[in-house]
Amino acid sequence: MKVLVPVKRVIDYNVKVRVKADQTGVELANVKMSMNPFDEISIEEAIRLKEAGHAEEVIAVSVGVQQCQETIRTALAMGADRGIHVVHDGDIEPLVVAKILKELVDKEGPSIVIVGKQAIDDDSNQTGQMLAALLGWGQATFVSKVEIEGDSIKATREVDGGLETISVMLPAVLTTDLRLNEPRYASLPNIMKAKKKPIEQFTPVELGVDPSCRIEILKVAEPPTREAGVKVSDVGELVDKLRNTAKVI
Amino acid sequence: MDFALTAEQTLIVDMVRRFVQEEIIPLEINLDPDADELEPEVLERLTDKTKAMGLFGLDTPPEYGGPEIDMVTRVLIAIECSQHRAGIYTPCYGAFGGARQAQLFEATEVQKEKYLYPMLRGEKRVFFGLSEPSGGSDPARAIQTRAVRDGNNHWVLNGTKLWISGADRADYGLVFARTGGAGRAGVTAFIVETNWPGFNVARVVHTLRSAKYATEIQIDNLRVPHENILGEEGGGFAIANDRLARQRVPYAAECLGAAIKAHEMATEYSKIRETFGATLSARQGIQWMLVENEIDIRAARLLVLDAAAKSDKGLPFRTESAIAKLVCSENGFKVIDRSMQIHGGLGVAKDLPLERWFREMRIRRIGEGPSEVQKHVIARDIIGGSLR
Ligand SMILES: Cc1cc2nc3c(=O)[nH]c(=O)nc-3n(C[C@H](O)[C@H](O)[C@H](O)COP(=O)(O)OP(=O)(O)OC[C@H]3O[C@@H](n4cnc5c(N)ncnc54)[C@H](O)[C@@H]3O)c2cc1C
Repeated sequence: MKVLVPVKRVIDYNVKVRVKADQTGVELANVKMSMNPFDEISIEEAIRLKEAGHAEEVIAVSVGVQQCQETIRTALAMGADRGIHVVHDGDIEPLVVAKILKELVDKEGPSIVIVGKQAIDDDSNQTGQMLAALLGWGQATFVSKVEIEGDSIKATREVDGGLETISVMLPAVLTTDLRLNEPRYASLPNIMKAKKKPIEQFTPVELGVDPSCRIEILKVAEPPTREAGVKVSDVGELVDKLRNTAKVI
Repeated sequence: MDFALTAEQTLIVDMVRRFVQEEIIPLEINLDPDADELEPEVLERLTDKTKAMGLFGLDTPPEYGGPEIDMVTRVLIAIECSQHRAGIYTPCYGAFGGARQAQLFEATEVQKEKYLYPMLRGEKRVFFGLSEPSGGSDPARAIQTRAVRDGNNHWVLNGTKLWISGADRADYGLVFARTGGAGRAGVTAFIVETNWPGFNVARVVHTLRSAKYATEIQIDNLRVPHENILGEEGGGFAIANDRLARQRVPYAAECLGAAIKAHEMATEYSKIRETFGATLSARQGIQWMLVENEIDIRAARLLVLDAAAKSDKGLPFRTESAIAKLVCSENGFKVIDRSMQIHGGLGVAKDLPLERWFREMRIRRIGEGPSEVQKHVIARDIIGGSLR
């Protein structure tokens, strides 16, 4: 079976993000970009499925600007077999990405799509769920453990207050949580092989998807800086502050 | 002319940078600030990872099982590997494989089996015994340790070696001794095991480097089998010249890595530290220090990559490697000194790696051929002929 893994190019998690002066977005010029960490976990899981003999081919997909090729190359250097780059300049929303992925699923026929539970830039946490809905497939979100059992998947999910184990029929969409695995480093042989692995290119329009946005970003602002607290001398003053300054009681 | 990295080089740099950030720097929080070794099981966990990355044995040629990388890539890796506290002298605490010891590649097959391969596998430690109390810059003239033939199968060595790194922890190493007359042609290289009678580490010489490093070796009637001559009798200096020039290139790059990190730290710190009502970065006096750091780093980077690129193209690169070693260590030292100054008292505290880099970078201007000797090499190239 094939496994499809979307990989998003995001600001590197080590970079301190700055809002642009005109408040239209965040500063991207000269900022280091990397693969979304949750997507690395997805690639790792897909490669493990391949190493365990469950999968034959791992396909990495990225939607976005030309440099997304670098993100795909990183996936190939970790061990993915080939790449698909859907070229699009400018903003793109989860629903559009989900629609593009649906078209690619129809073309490629994977049995599993492993999606990061969210991307660390916009934290939407929507693409996997939307894709499952568009495909009419089962989904296991926030998975921290995955076992293939015949034609279904036993998945452990990280839910509020504990772990939930569910079984989903294949084909299915998984979204990965932090504790699923520890992604491997790329390797020199894979980096060298990555050069020869093919990356196919499409535009959203070629796939029959309208990439235009339905959400307009009005303004991006820094979170307010927290003001320093004050020390209170006794309970009376505390109650007074809570009532009259903070107005919470 | 294009200075851009290839897609592959970018991926390799990313992978190594990440390894340093995720595996090495967190370890250092709990290590002694002068540590240059890891617990064996920790090192093994790391070498398992570098082996999986296909990068174990960075200085091992591919024909001996090392990674298939060119010198430019080797330099890029060295620049990343040295960006941590112990990085100048022990990049990643040896997680990328054993020491460079270029001369042993010139050994006979029997010698390689016994001495080269165990070193490459990281099982045995090796010392390099060239310098003597009589001087290290011009060893061909200065060497006084004598080797005298004793029958057909043995040589007997007597003399003193000084500044020899890690001989107290080594299993074997090279001792250069005079077998003939004065000058280059009179010196022979012997492979000597440290547990042979007559080989004594007289003392550890404490230097600016972390304690227990350089040693003084006393050699008293040390009997060395004839088959332990490396290369030819009288050919001690003829061997591995090309490899030595090559080994100097990553050596230079390691100086640069620490400088880059120091500059990064100084830049960050200058933006948050306030004095007299403004950040340090708002002061032109500080800005110019950062500008000079930036220029020193860029110049050194281009020069070391130029040496590497010439070596990859099969062009002569002896002069380029001397320039790279000179500029990377001299500029690296200046960058670290300025970065230290910007940090104030914190700059000299062991809480930060700057003070260790400062000490070790100072030695880099002397070790592996001091700056003046590099200039001597470069002058010979410019003026021609053999300078006395
Ligand atoms: C920590 C440490 C570790 C070392 N490890 C080793 C090791 O493992 N193995 C080993 O063999 N050696 C080792 N060395 C020795 C090192 O290579 C020598 O110190 C170096 O070669 C200089 O030799 P020297 O100290 O005898 O100085 P000298 O040769 O006496 O030179 C003194 C000064 O004069 C300068 N000078 C020399 N010639 C000229 C000239 N023609 N014109 C102008 N200036 C000149 C030199 O640059 C130097 O600044 C180590 C040194 C140190 C400090």
